[in-house]
Amino acid sequence: MQYLPSVGRLLRHATALLAFATLTSLFGTAAHAVPSYARQTGAECASCHVGGYGPQLTPYGVRFKLGGYTDTDGKDGKIPLSAMAVFNWARTEKDNPAPDSGLHANANDNGGMQEASVFLAGRLTDQIGTFIQSTYSGYERKWALDSMDIRWARTLALGEQEGVVGVSLNGNPTLTDPFNTIGQWRFPYTESDFGFGSGPSPLIEGLGGSVMGLNAYTLWDKNFYAELGAYGTLSPKGLSMINADDAGKFKNLGTYWRLAYFKDMKRDNFSVGLFGFNADLQPDRADGTANKYDDIGVDVAYQFLGNREHIYTLNASYIHEKQALNYSFNNGESSDKNNSLDQYKLAASYHYNQTWGVTGSLFNTSTSKDATLYGESSYHDNGNTSGYILQGDWTPWGKESSWGAPWANVRLGVQYTGYNKFNGGSHYLDDNGDDRKASDNNTLSFFVWTSI
Amino acid sequence: MSIATMTTKQQLFNGLVGICLLAAAGQVLAGDVKKGADVFAEECGDCHSVKEGKAKKGPPLFGINGRKAASVADFDYSDAMKQSGIAWTADKIDAYITHPRKVVPGGKMKYDGLDNAAARADVIAYVMSLK
Repeated sequence: MQYLPSVGRLLRHATALLAFATLTSLFGTAAHAVPSYARQTGAECASCHVGGYGPQLTPYGVRFKLGGYTDTDGKDGKIPLSAMAVFNWARTEKDNPAPDSGLHANANDNGGMQEASVFLAGRLTDQIGTFIQSTYSGYERKWALDSMDIRWARTLALGEQEGVVGVSLNGNPTLTDPFNTIGQWRFPYTESDFGFGSGPSPLIEGLGGSVMGLNAYTLWDKNFYAELGAYGTLSPKGLSMINADDAGKFKNLGTYWRLAYFKDMKRDNFSVGLFGFNADLQPDRADGTANKYDDIGVDVAYQFLGNREHIYTLNASYIHEKQALNYSFNNGESSDKNNSLDQYKLAASYHYNQTWGVTGSLFNTSTSKDATLYGESSYHDNGNTSGYILQGDWTPWGKESSWGAPWANVRLGVQYTGYNKFNGGSHYLDDNGDDRKASDNNTLSFFVWTSI
Repeated sequence: MSIATMTTKQQLFNGLVGICLLAAAGQVLAGDVKKGADVFAEECGDCHSVKEGKAKKGPPLFGINGRKAASVADFDYSDAMKQSGIAWTADKIDAYITHPRKVVPGGKMKYDGLDNAAARADVIAYVMSLK
């Protein structure tokens, strides 16, 4: 089947999809690994991270984050600076018919330095710490403020009970979360920019860098986590200053909320939670009409840590998004005002000796039918996408007795992403309007992820 | 009744009685160093190193046997620990890791304690072996 849409329709289509999958090229796949925390605390990377490398947090890492990144070994003179680089190479089953010019991409076999970051990450005062990352995208060839989380936290006692309470100024609704089940911190922790992603995503996952939020949180009595945040979109001038893409403008503040029960039994631990995000987004800042997004989700995580020789983890989440696309409908970018999106993700991992790791992941996104929103690329007028990711990795250092600890850190890995469905089915229409199999997007990649 | 004819419940009961009698007498069970290394990894290793002079959030436990509390140079102890007057014998460690905040009220260690007496004995045997 051949179908060549007009450039105008393609542009409208791209605009309509903006709210679902914005910014992922620069922010969604960004990796994070911060040895300055290890130097600050005296703890090895493996204390905070499963497998001896970021970002999957152990309970010790969870408490360090919620404590405002301020724990220390008590010694002065620690400089809260780190640097990181990710090199990768990716090969897709079949050449990409429309390589992304913004990534300076070839049709296939793309590789090089994907990103290089510097971090201001660590304790500034007894109660204030930071996680700030500025990243140069080697493929986009530009700098951006990638992540920002500035925290104040303290311990508070009420009678027999005590907890940690804190406030975070941050640039992404899920950046603040201490678990690895939602948004920014979910597997895959690094992936090639030349891959094909995991389909349409809810708004909560598409705002990194384009918003600023103020969140209050607590981990009370070691078990009960609660967080409430209010987010506003940055002005075009602000976005330009940090080189971030424009997702549009919130009509009012976006609200993020999170509740979780967390139980650390040392040998193993689990968490069960709920989360949500609500915002009215004006894709066109000058137009007062907004698309309304209501995201609600549930997540669960389990870790068996034992004596750290054999570590097993399971992270899973489900998100439902209710969409009232008033702007898109009025501007001919959607056939229906009311749409929805449902997303499931699951990842299970095993790590041996904090060195060798394997992870298997499933992803599945289903959307309501909308001929205008999805019809350009879907035979079934929906964005349904599903598949799996398999990863094997080797982290030679990161333990207390490792060579060069805590300065020398590297993870080498191989990752394979396979698709059962893409843009609605096992076949879809590519960017040139030609038929393409979902499995043509299957991508094999190798990565070297290093930090100091 | 011979040991061979004891039921599992009876053996468990006798074992518990033995543990209670030892605890009442203020004695620490004889622990297994190898098992203790595993308990250490699960319960203590994130905050304490077994390397000499290596501080984490907590002080190093190398050479803990008989060491006076708050005596590792350059480690920032709480005032409560400095004033505790403890010398780390097996009994003192056992009491401390059972209820840290009861033994050193106002101390910095954020650890709820280890209820399992056998696990405590094992980890004590392990840290006492660090010389």
